[in-house]
Amino acid sequence: MSVRPKVLIVDDEERFRTTLHKLLAIRKIDAAHVGSAKEAFSEIANNDYDVILLDVKMPEMDGIQALGRIKRENPQIEVIILTGHASVDAAVEIMKLGGYEYLLKPCAIDELVGKIESAWERKLIRGKKTLDANS
Amino acid sequence: MPKILPSDPSRIYILVVPLAILLLAVPLWIYSGLGPALAALVVAALCFFVISSLVRKVVKAQEQERLLDLQLIQSQKLAAIGELSAGIAHEINNPLAIIAQEVEWARHQLQAEKPEGKSFAELKDSLDEITRQVDRCSEVTHRILDFARKRDPLVQSTEINKLVEDMAKLVEKEVSHAGICVIRQYENDLPPALTDPPLLRQVVLNLLNNAADSVGQNGTISLETRIPDKGKIEIEISDTGCGIPKEDLNRIFDPFFTTKPPGKGTGLGLSLCHSIIIRLGGTITVQSEQGKGSAFTVRLPLDYNSHKSG
Repeated sequence: MSVRPKVLIVDDEERFRTTLHKLLAIRKIDAAHVGSAKEAFSEIANNDYDVILLDVKMPEMDGIQALGRIKRENPQIEVIILTGHASVDAAVEIMKLGGYEYLLKPCAIDELVGKIESAWERKLIRGKKTLDANS
Repeated sequence: MPKILPSDPSRIYILVVPLAILLLAVPLWIYSGLGPALAALVVAALCFFVISSLVRKVVKAQEQERLLDLQLIQSQKLAAIGELSAGIAHEINNPLAIIAQEVEWARHQLQAEKPEGKSFAELKDSLDEITRQVDRCSEVTHRILDFARKRDPLVQSTEINKLVEDMAKLVEKEVSHAGICVIRQYENDLPPALTDPPLLRQVVLNLLNNAADSVGQNGTISLETRIPDKGKIEIEISDTGCGIPKEDLNRIFDPFFTTKPPGKGTGLGLSLCHSIIIRLGGTITVQSEQGKGSAFTVRLPLDYNSHKSG
């Protein structure tokens, strides 16, 4: 079990994800970043992630579709949606698909870190409950 | 829609009255024993009465139709602009997010270098200013998205006087130092209304804020609630402020229209009020005279559901 959350940033804006990666690193959050949902699936298949930061508007597959697939295949991973366009319909859809949180860009880095930590905490509690149930 | 009546309804008299006199007055003269002049006069009076009442009804219907057309055009315009601006807001939010992060990173780098001297202080000041301007832009884009976002009203029993008073107290606190006087004239027997309180609160607060901005110093803001017709309520917020120029009156509910200085208003407040009130089944109107003040009147159905089913 990691002592800090392991985060995957999925955003097609390269500068956004590289700077966010650096900003998370100075807050001791270990993060990786990819530019599309397709790359995210292969990252998730090969590495353990606690929290995924997912953009909505991306080429090929959008964040909502990606969220559906991630939660189907890896329900233990918490997903935070980071988008420039908020709508009630999208928020309802995200909650239905099991998304943890929905944040509107631009959002303060401290707020984002707070959300990542609480999503991670939730993942840990859920993991502990599953262990207790199995033992 | 084709008009049934000519544009000037009085022309109907010229067509119908002689015809009616011909058809009705002749039998009346023959069978009732009245003189021809008297029979014609009786029929003419009868025609005048019936047609007047018909014309009044038609004129009223035409006026209602015209108002509905205007409301429809305004709603369509708002919906189209809302959709367009939400798309633009989204496109702006992404670069804003990058700018905000770059500033954060630059600030971190500066801290790591432990900089000293005037140029570093200026650099730090520039970064702070960029942050402030990003916040300002994101406030605008977030408000645009709020504006475009539609949700169905959540109806609750609402004490309108209390709702208005809560907002009045809030604004009164803010403006008391400017010597602005807030006068209340609440209808005592106002029944509870079935409407969406948070949406209505937003409208009242917006109108009160605008009134306070318009009054500036030592003016008066008046609040009135009343029952204009059965099943309706009215909230009037008026001020003794600068008023609205005539040429701006039919643009004030348009999105992004503002007379406030740059950075002070997004121009979305009144259009948001308009779109909320339409969603609540009501109307919002304004009367204003430049240099004397403005009065905004919100008229709502007492029961939102009755408007929806009606």
